[in-house]
Amino acid sequence: MSGKSFFIDTTKCTACRGCQVACKQWNQLPATKTKNWGSHQNPKDLSFVTYKLVRFSEVISDGELRWYFFPDQCRHCDEPPCKDVAEALGYKDAVRVDKATGAVLFNQKVKIKPDDFNEIKDACPFNIPRYNPQKRVISKCTMCIDRISNRMVPACVKTCPTGAMNFGDRDKMLALAEKRLKEVKTKYSQAQLLNAEDVRTIYLVIDDPEKYYEFAKARGIGITRMLAMKKLIRPVMSFLGSRG
Amino acid sequence: MTNHWIDLGNSDCILIMGSNAAENHPISFKWVTKAKERGATLINVDPRFTRTSSKVDIYAPLRSGSDIAFLGGMIKYILDNNLYFREYVAEYTNAPFILTKRYGFRDGLFSGYNPKTKSYNKRYWAFEKDKKGTPKKDKSLKHPRCVYQLLKKHYSRYTIDKVSAITGTPKRDLLKIYKIYAATGRSGKAGTIMYAMGWTQHTVGVQNIRTMAMIQLLLGNMGVAGGGVNALRGESNVQGSTDHCLLFHILPGYMATPSTKWPKLADYLKRRPKNNDPLSANWWQNEPKYMVSFLKSMFGEFATPANDFGYDWMPKLDAGKTYTWLDLFDLMYKGKFTGFFSWGQNPACSGANSNKTRKALAELKWLVNINMFENETGSFWKGPGMNPNEIKTEVFFLPCAVSVEKEGSITNSGRWMQWRYAAVKPPGKATPDGEIIVKLFDKIKKLYKKEGGVFPEPIVSLKWDYTTRGKFDPHKVAKQINGYFLKDVTVKGKTFKKGTLVPSFAYLKDDGSTSSANWLYCNSYTEKGNMATRRGLKDASGIGLYPEWSWCWPVNRRIIYNRASVNLKGQPWDKKRPVVRFVGEVKNGKYVTKKWVGDVPDGGWYPMMNPDGTRRADTKYPFIMKPEGHAHVFGPGRADGPFSEHYEPLECPVERNLMSSQFINPTVKLFKTAKDKFLTCDPRYPIVGTTYRVTEHWQTGLMTRWQPWLIEAEPQLFCEMSEEFAALRGIKNGEKVIVESPRGRVTAIAIATKRFKPFTIMGQTVHEVGLPWHFGWVTPKDGGDSANLLTSSVGDPNTLIPETKAFMVNVRKA
Amino acid sequence: MKVTRRDFIKISGVTATGLFFSQLGFDLSPVSAYAHGLRIKGAKETTTICPYCAVGCGIICHSSRGKVINTEGDPDHPINQGALCAKGAALYQWVNNKNRVTTPLYRAPGSDRWKSVSWNWALDEIAKRVKAARDEGFTKLNAKGQVVNRMESIAHVGSAALDNEECWTLQAMMRALGLVYIEHQARI
Repeated sequence: MSGKSFFIDTTKCTACRGCQVACKQWNQLPATKTKNWGSHQNPKDLSFVTYKLVRFSEVISDGELRWYFFPDQCRHCDEPPCKDVAEALGYKDAVRVDKATGAVLFNQKVKIKPDDFNEIKDACPFNIPRYNPQKRVISKCTMCIDRISNRMVPACVKTCPTGAMNFGDRDKMLALAEKRLKEVKTKYSQAQLLNAEDVRTIYLVIDDPEKYYEFAKARGIGITRMLAMKKLIRPVMSFLGSRG
Repeated sequence: MTNHWIDLGNSDCILIMGSNAAENHPISFKWVTKAKERGATLINVDPRFTRTSSKVDIYAPLRSGSDIAFLGGMIKYILDNNLYFREYVAEYTNAPFILTKRYGFRDGLFSGYNPKTKSYNKRYWAFEKDKKGTPKKDKSLKHPRCVYQLLKKHYSRYTIDKVSAITGTPKRDLLKIYKIYAATGRSGKAGTIMYAMGWTQHTVGVQNIRTMAMIQLLLGNMGVAGGGVNALRGESNVQGSTDHCLLFHILPGYMATPSTKWPKLADYLKRRPKNNDPLSANWWQNEPKYMVSFLKSMFGEFATPANDFGYDWMPKLDAGKTYTWLDLFDLMYKGKFTGFFSWGQNPACSGANSNKTRKALAELKWLVNINMFENETGSFWKGPGMNPNEIKTEVFFLPCAVSVEKEGSITNSGRWMQWRYAAVKPPGKATPDGEIIVKLFDKIKKLYKKEGGVFPEPIVSLKWDYTTRGKFDPHKVAKQINGYFLKDVTVKGKTFKKGTLVPSFAYLKDDGSTSSANWLYCNSYTEKGNMATRRGLKDASGIGLYPEWSWCWPVNRRIIYNRASVNLKGQPWDKKRPVVRFVGEVKNGKYVTKKWVGDVPDGGWYPMMNPDGTRRADTKYPFIMKPEGHAHVFGPGRADGPFSEHYEPLECPVERNLMSSQFINPTVKLFKTAKDKFLTCDPRYPIVGTTYRVTEHWQTGLMTRWQPWLIEAEPQLFCEMSEEFAALRGIKNGEKVIVESPRGRVTAIAIATKRFKPFTIMGQTVHEVGLPWHFGWVTPKDGGDSANLLTSSVGDPNTLIPETKAFMVNVRKA
Repeated sequence: MKVTRRDFIKISGVTATGLFFSQLGFDLSPVSAYAHGLRIKGAKETTTICPYCAVGCGIICHSSRGKVINTEGDPDHPINQGALCAKGAALYQWVNNKNRVTTPLYRAPGSDRWKSVSWNWALDEIAKRVKAARDEGFTKLNAKGQVVNRMESIAHVGSAALDNEECWTLQAMMRALGLVYIEHQARI
């Protein structure tokens, strides 16, 4: 894998949510109406107009209180299952992978049927794609393709004060991730990089990823074309079934 | 801040207490993180576990209002274990000074207390003087009446058991923190403190900070890189507006407001204490130059020696009377004001005891509110519980430009004066504040010229030429703030032409030949140009001083008290991170030429001592702003004592003060209207309440509640509480609750969290809850109202800053 | 006002390793749906300092045709090095906000609504009221007969959001009028 990658060092995230707002600012995405639901995490989830969301989680680990922050976004998989599923469903041009960077992009010109969207979303091991039922398009993080094509870093990375958000050539990001993992591991034995081999958004966590967010790590065994194909069986079968 | 934001990265140990830096000064964490990466230890002490706590090495809880007990215990630990920086303490602080026999302390009271006036006679706290009138010292620190010995005695009472019982902080946490922080009391180690309103908003606010300043002095942490006492200021230009003194008690540059104590200019100019010690710079003895130059800036050609430079035109306070925010709203509540300007502020939400404030506004004949958005102050007449038909107050709302629609400078917490430029024009008829000021005053002046009126002299004599082509010109004011030579002048052997800008305050004169609207900013806009616009990124220091980026007061000195960062011979205590260093030539063991490198030194005199160990007579002590040149471990200027002492908040959950029979601060001033209700240990209000802020909003929310992106992230008033307390009251996370105090009530969303824990205080379980004060009824409609409806209008006796961080409430399901 | 180094070049301000793109060799065709070109291309760049807390972070304002179209951290600024928190990152929405009040307003005694008024009228009326309150409430001598030359009928709060130059001018005006009840954010 060449191209670009994010390295997200959650040990340095202070949940200032600069990234969450900078993403909206750069992409000119509107706010959604929210309510306080007993958490500081808001909006509650990603949406068609929220590509980046800092998730908050209070846990007791090793007998001490920890407050974990997880700046969630598209992982830009090396072999994106969403793309495979979309293609299997007949959308040839719905999902593209930018050759130079590896950015996984949903084509805003391709209309997707609601049921097909659900199949595409279910294929994502990280629960990322979101649907606009009016426009019938899917959206998510674009890796700020317009910025990176013009030699700027993504808006979320630019705004991060502490070095939690990093972006650059994949080999360098991987090296940085490995270096940080080694440092952090001396204190936290459970420290790990999440799906580093398969995705372009590499998270460093210090604990069981489930404690951060249920989709922090890929649900299942990892993202391979094989997995994607297995996932495909169900939608295709149900498709056939509905016709039959 | 004595230091600055980037300098946090130089620290070995950062104590974050009385602030929540990761949330309220988020970019400070760029530098806190840098320090951590370098191996620094981060400590956070806070009633609740915050986003800051999530990133530190050690977090410890403490009950709101018990900080002095916590820090007093640290002083005891430092002294008991001999961990103080001996040379620094003996040479640079007043620890060796000897007090007279009149000083004493018994059962919570210092000597000199008058119960009738609830105040101290500070003469009881005076130093013993020699024949020349300078304080007697014992540098061995052994004299039984020297400050050091009295300090030791005073804090010997702050035992770990007592401290833990008062604060609710577990003993093991106390000891761990004391040990780690005290380890910075060595040459080459620096510890710093990041505090904010968590320390100021108490009836012991000033003493909270003083206790920490004493610790910093004992550990030799003042003046060094990565050290200092760092107040994280909350507003983009609260530093600059304080420097320019939009406060009742000071004139620009921290000069006292004229009062009946000094009826004539001559009295004023003599007011600073003299010091006969030739080694004390006693910098404030220069005040006459600054005051006369200020008056020349105020009244221009109308300020002459014959009329005391217009001193009589300056309004005078009654000596000893306070005119603070709390006094102001108390009088307004009593109907004593006709008119009121609320200029870029929202007191209906920001002032303590907001119900009193809001009621007070209805007593005005007229109110002028300058702002960019509708707010709870300007629209008070249609707020909750108000009947517009009955409210006679006329209200003028004047819409102003925002920062990117005008030009000018602001000063950050690290004292950097930074210039901003206009990107676009304001929308509609909104206009810059500067424009509103000059236009309004033009009209007032015109009326006085046309109709005459009472005492028109200061109005018609005020220098008022700050426009260019009819528009407010910030450059003209910025130059006036710096100051001009008003005649051809020769100072210190240099000749300056009339009409040129003064290069620095060292050249100001007291004879009317110079102007300077604020001496601290003299050097900011010189013949070399507008220093605040500079964008140079050279940093020869290697410690992030960036001397060519913008400009910093005073005279571009980035770390103040920096001559305390060197030993008597002028060599840095910390060789890896020197702030200044003396590099003069040496002949026969003596310094023979004068040269400092690094930051602009706090006075460029020779070091105190030659390389051969002989003392010099042509030097000055490093703490130049103090009359005796020594930093105050013993602070005889405070209203409530020269050392700090734990007193309970005005409203608290305990029936006695474990330290003495003095329950609350004995010098506290109480207001007595029907709205000033205070209840301690009342079963109706059994829960400690506190207020705070979140990253996504700012102050009363006036500048954030209108932004959909921010209101999306933090949409509503919440009340954080422990899971234990929520269970006790049958409150579920996310449910609506009513929080009420003796003064008001709000409806909030409950956040039941592991991050708040019940305290054990003197063997009893004490619950604490907290709410942000960002919300208000104007917008959003379901956002809730200000937490200041709950807080109490009682203030610190030195500053009258209200005690909004500790009060008593009840919480129940809505 | 130009910034010293263009943001474009300083791509890696916030990455820990300091990476630079070595080439522009992007195949833009597959991403045509997104690659509309950079929306700030050709925009005017103006530097400013964040109006919220007192860290004093640098921000670049991109404006075009008299409108702010983008705001982001100034990568050259030595304190924030391009970073901004949630509030600073939302500066765009503070400037471009349909709720801004754009005309002076007046609320008459007993009225339940605002009325739009002209600047000239508003300032004339305020000036008259200031003069009336001052002339009526001016104190030359206090109760003890000492000269005080002050006005206790008008009070003022605020200014921590104003520029230094405005603050100085404001205090000069208030003190020339004789106000002593002058307070601001530092007292709360």
